[in-house]
Amino acid sequence: MAGVQTSDEQQLQAEVQRLRARVQQLESELLEVQQRANAAVAEWQERAYWLDRWHIDLNALMRRRGAEELRGAVRAVRAVVRAVRTAKRRLGRS
Amino acid sequence: MTEARERTVSAVVPVKDGERYLDELLHALAREGVDETLVIDSGSRDRSREIARSHRAELLEIDPREFGHGRTRNLGAQRTSGELICFLTQDATPCPGWLDAYREAFDLDERVGAAYGPHLPRPGTSPMIARELSEFFAGFAAGALPAAGQAGSGDGPVVQRQGNPTFLSNVNACYTRRCWEGVRFREIAYSEDQAFGADMLAAGWLKVYHPRAAVLHAHDYGAVEFMRRYFDEYRGLRATSGHVEPFGVRDTARHVRRQVAADRRWMAAHGFDTAQRARWTARAAGHHAGRRVFSALGSRSQLLPAPLQRGLSLEGRDDAPVAPESNGGASMASATEPPVGSGATGSSPVPPSRHIARKLSGEVYDVIAQVWRDGPAPLLDPVTGMCERERLRLAMVIPPFSRGSGGHNTLFQIFTRLEQRGHACSVWLADYYGYARAVWPATLRREIQEYFAPFQGPVYKGFADWQGADVAIATGWQTVHAMLQLDHCRVRAYIVNDHEPEFYPASTEHSLAADTYRYDLHCIAASPWLRDRLTERYGASAEAFQLGVDHDTYRPRPVARQPATVVYYARYATPRRAVPIGLMALAELKRRRPDVRVVLFGTSEVLDASFDYEHIDVLSPEQLSWLYSEATVGLCLSLTNFSLMPKEMLACGLPCVELAGISAESIFGSDGPLELAPLEPDRIADAMQRLLEDPEEWQRRSHAGVEYVASHTWEHATDEVEAGLRHALREREAAATTLT
Repeated sequence: MAGVQTSDEQQLQAEVQRLRARVQQLESELLEVQQRANAAVAEWQERAYWLDRWHIDLNALMRRRGAEELRGAVRAVRAVVRAVRTAKRRLGRS
Repeated sequence: MTEARERTVSAVVPVKDGERYLDELLHALAREGVDETLVIDSGSRDRSREIARSHRAELLEIDPREFGHGRTRNLGAQRTSGELICFLTQDATPCPGWLDAYREAFDLDERVGAAYGPHLPRPGTSPMIARELSEFFAGFAAGALPAAGQAGSGDGPVVQRQGNPTFLSNVNACYTRRCWEGVRFREIAYSEDQAFGADMLAAGWLKVYHPRAAVLHAHDYGAVEFMRRYFDEYRGLRATSGHVEPFGVRDTARHVRRQVAADRRWMAAHGFDTAQRARWTARAAGHHAGRRVFSALGSRSQLLPAPLQRGLSLEGRDDAPVAPESNGGASMASATEPPVGSGATGSSPVPPSRHIARKLSGEVYDVIAQVWRDGPAPLLDPVTGMCERERLRLAMVIPPFSRGSGGHNTLFQIFTRLEQRGHACSVWLADYYGYARAVWPATLRREIQEYFAPFQGPVYKGFADWQGADVAIATGWQTVHAMLQLDHCRVRAYIVNDHEPEFYPASTEHSLAADTYRYDLHCIAASPWLRDRLTERYGASAEAFQLGVDHDTYRPRPVARQPATVVYYARYATPRRAVPIGLMALAELKRRRPDVRVVLFGTSEVLDASFDYEHIDVLSPEQLSWLYSEATVGLCLSLTNFSLMPKEMLACGLPCVELAGISAESIFGSDGPLELAPLEPDRIADAMQRLLEDPEEWQRRSHAGVEYVASHTWEHATDEVEAGLRHALREREAAATTLT
């Protein structure tokens, strides 16, 4: 009888140990995730410094009327400039 | 949280010439099972009173001049007894399931103080109004935070809290008596429901939009009446929320074009034929254009002469303060409320009051009131061995800062080192007063790096993105209550740089600062004196850390000492620096030794003094170390906790005079490297004179100072703070073990 009890207690202890180890592992993973999230936000804040400094919200800016059209126009001009440069390069080679 | 017993329900219906829908409305209330119905009639000339009596509703008749949207509804609530009070307008008929939906809404959370439902268009309602109603209420179902276990859209209830729309409409709304008693309708001419919505959310109540608590409702106004009603509505909105409807010709044209197009789409979707669509299109254009104009006029009604205001108002009212001409015997006000205005007793000496529009979304210390009301957010359960874990998730909550802030410098010297040790560190700004309103997070982060230390982690403004932490760290009295509301924390700790109640005279801030030491936060205090004060005066759990010195910067520089030069940190704007006493001491010294050169630094303010002196503005640490290296005596006084500056002077070999009997002895002892003097100008002058005239004493103090502070490093301070944070975790773990 005592032997059975001891075995049960040992099993319980082993289960507790296993769960503790699992919690430890999950906590460790949580910390890693937090570290990565912190690093990502910090990196974004590093990049966005001048936008924040000048209070520019690009999403809000691009939602304004005409912003998409302006962007389209810039892309069109850029495409033309690139085409001309490419053509010049090819002509220069030949 | 469902209550076992159903709450009793009263319905209050203000009426004036409302016979058209009143019978239908009262039938619906009986069908829904309302326990008590009160009809308040303010001078109907139709059959309204007769209809109310026929339904055995309680009828209260009031003088039309006594009517006020907020006042009359407060009266209705007072006159009824139900635990839930429903308000309906005379033309709002509850749909089947209306009351069950309200009951469901109030069962969601005990903090729900009000609920409201949609207004469905009656058959024959114009397409403009029908579309507007449908789209308006659909927005609440889709946009707000969903209740637990409910979808955010569809026909489930939606819980709204502070930060969500404040909209509430007494056309169809229901309140708990407790919420109404706590908030009450403001006695304003219009939009009392909107004001209530904002007030209740600000007071911490929740409200619920329930799509099934619907009523049939529509104003069957003519085109002109509609416009006049918009005038009233926007005038009321300006008074309650300060909203001013923008107006511009091109904007209006664009707005009308968009609205008419939307109306046409709506008509097409609802089976209107071409002829109907054409007819309604013309009316829609007039409606939307007129609405825009009258809304803008209503917002600016104070610019219009009173007769014109009365002409434009559907209620025939101008903006003049409304006071009843007489209390009228059995009138509503005389029965229930103190009389307003003078009327029967002659003119009052009280000057007319001026309405001040709401400017803030909440009061400055709302966060603190919430903590007092609801208590701190619960902590996460402790995890065995969490205090021993090598790396922790640390979140430091800071108050706003500016360049040169000594307290922030201490915090970031330590926090940056904790980050370098591998802890996951983030910084959160609590800004009660909006000092940093114009500074965006990335800029804050860069300023921290430029002003204090190269912190590499993220910096957040406010707590919208709060992610939880092993240890949340408060760092000033203005951060504690905000931190107490943060959830998903294993433990909370408090780095205390000074005894901040002493920064204020008897005041709100003095009391709030003292309150922060009473939440069982483990305090990590910036001197033994401060630790003792926290434990002895407030019974707080506390330990001390020693402020560090940046020895790379603060060291004796290769420069000759100037003869008889006293440098004084004269920051007049900080009262705890006792600058008037310091100036008196220097005046006495100059009287005794006119040859002494006095240099005041640390402030851009040029002070008036009774002696000649030299002034240097705020200096960088590098510049300070050179100044300390060439001076003969430093003077730096503090009436509260010991600051970093005397240590930095000592590190540069400069003997320094500080105040005795406050905090310095707890670090240096009474005969340590610092020259201590009581708070008396002559005695302080004595101390400075002794150092100027006794070369041996000067040498002894100078050597002892350099030697003493050599071990006071930021690494050591970080060790102590880290131990304090782990101690807080250990205490939490031990407390939980004791409980189990």
